[in-house]
Amino acid sequence: MNIRRTLAVARKALSQFRHDRRTLGFIVAMPLLMVVVFGYTFGGEVHNVRTLVVNDDAGFMGVTVADRLLENITGDTLSLVSWTGSGSPRDEVAAGRAWAVITFPANFTENLLTGNDTATIGLILDGSSPPIVSAVLGKVRASIEKTFASGGSPGLSLDRDYVYGSEDTRFIDSFAPGVVALAVLMVTTIFSVIMVVREKSGGMLERLFATPLKPVELVFGLALALAVIAFAQSVVVLSAAILLFQIKVAGSIPLAFGVLLLFAIGNQGLGIMLSSAAKNELQAIQFVPLILFPSLLLTGVFFPLEAIPSAFRPFSYVVPLTYASDALHSIMLRGWGIVEIGVDVVVLLVYDVLTLLGAAVFVRRQA
Amino acid sequence: MPSETAVACREVVKRFGEIEALRGVSLEIPRGVTFGLLGPNGAGKTTLLRVCLGLTGPTSGSAVVLGEKIPPRSVVPKIGYMPQDLAVYLDMTVGENLALFGRLVGMEEDAIESRTADVLELVELAGRRDSLASTLSGGMRRRTSLAMALLHDPDLLLLDEPTVGVDPELRASFWSYFGGLTKRGKTVVITTHYMEEASRCDLVALLHQGRLLARGAPAAIKSRTNAANLDDAFLTLVREAKAA
Repeated sequence: MNIRRTLAVARKALSQFRHDRRTLGFIVAMPLLMVVVFGYTFGGEVHNVRTLVVNDDAGFMGVTVADRLLENITGDTLSLVSWTGSGSPRDEVAAGRAWAVITFPANFTENLLTGNDTATIGLILDGSSPPIVSAVLGKVRASIEKTFASGGSPGLSLDRDYVYGSEDTRFIDSFAPGVVALAVLMVTTIFSVIMVVREKSGGMLERLFATPLKPVELVFGLALALAVIAFAQSVVVLSAAILLFQIKVAGSIPLAFGVLLLFAIGNQGLGIMLSSAAKNELQAIQFVPLILFPSLLLTGVFFPLEAIPSAFRPFSYVVPLTYASDALHSIMLRGWGIVEIGVDVVVLLVYDVLTLLGAAVFVRRQA
Repeated sequence: MPSETAVACREVVKRFGEIEALRGVSLEIPRGVTFGLLGPNGAGKTTLLRVCLGLTGPTSGSAVVLGEKIPPRSVVPKIGYMPQDLAVYLDMTVGENLALFGRLVGMEEDAIESRTADVLELVELAGRRDSLASTLSGGMRRRTSLAMALLHDPDLLLLDEPTVGVDPELRASFWSYFGGLTKRGKTVVITTHYMEEASRCDLVALLHQGRLLARGAPAAIKSRTNAANLDDAFLTLVREAKAA
């Protein structure tokens, strides 16, 4: 091995980086971003879980145990809100406006102190998210332990009512929808990045635009082909999830595919837009982790959005995977239909239109 | 009534940031001729073709192609363009490459079918229609690229160095084909470095650093500069331009 030749190769490789400022920036910024976002978001601890409280406890001989129990729910895990509405608090959970309801019946303290009957704390839970369920149960149990530290808790029972899912809903059930969307995201963005870079190389893009072909036609044509691929891929991923891991789908499977397709189209637009803003393959491929990382960490794929620190939360609502993941989660675990996931669908449609139009503009600039 | 002029450029200026690729080029190319666009690398030949195709707008000045101002690009389907880059999909067959571009310029499927056979015959690739372009030699790929430009029988051919890497025998058959095209009223504009090719053109123009130095029939340019061949003629013209 000749040292001089080896060093010549090393020097050449470094000088190529020197001429590519964006890549240079990427080498520094990407790991930094990864560490920061990972560190702050991947705790898995949930915060401010919206929990409604229906405290009808009338007390007994001047004591109201329910109040004591609620006082002993400390920390920011649960965000307790007294239910004052007219309807049933259960409907709030069913509509996804609250994760849980804690109810104390009128005779709670009386039963507890007299032992005439079992004192029951009612819990209405959205079981579609096991991390949330265990956070709620954990906090309530901790409060019981603390309140009755000296004398135990005779005759106290927790009555659990699952609006969605059940005690058997596994963690994997809750993150499967998000992972399916994530898999679609990865393939669609990478494919579209590669496709456009390939068009650009060898003068293809220029030749295409020397015909009457319009940029918007090119972009929609590519998106159409990629949609077919994305659809086939969603079928494989979703089927594998269902068959291999016994993921239950409470809602409509075609609707789940529809959501995935909407999501995939927007990703392609984004991929085309970004890769056409890149000068070479190296710059193009750098966009992929840039999309994947925030998607992985900020979108509630593995943990509910409540596990993301509030400082990062606004970013969560900018990342499209948040909506795709939420829609799929609601279809697969809650059995929701198109009306209930309407907001997600509208956001995804806007995402599609904006990115495809953006892609057409960016592609045009290339030729 | 079609205009007698295939291409008319008026004071075309094209700047890319600091670089001035075309510095006020005025040029007329009549219909029915082979026209050689000559000049060293960076003279602005390719940029001029791109302006004529509407791929890039001129910074100032105008281009009228086949009687229509560019842009808009409504006249584009009547133009056949072979770029300097290979611009052939290597992961598609020869036939698929041709069919794609036939569809993009609006040809019917049966026309694509019959024309494909004709143009592949011309570029001597008739037997390679179903070959992946990646399996072809460099010269064959360029011939595929030429076939793609010829497929829709355009009124105007803009060929950017079409004969690079093509052997002399085939190059000669290309030239006789181009001659046949001009007899049918088609116009063939070719950029080239080969002076012996330039002398086959009806008319030539010399571009140098974004300026037009001369335009005329090869023989006329030779006699004007008292040169034995076009090479010498152009060297003289470039020297004069530098002195001025």
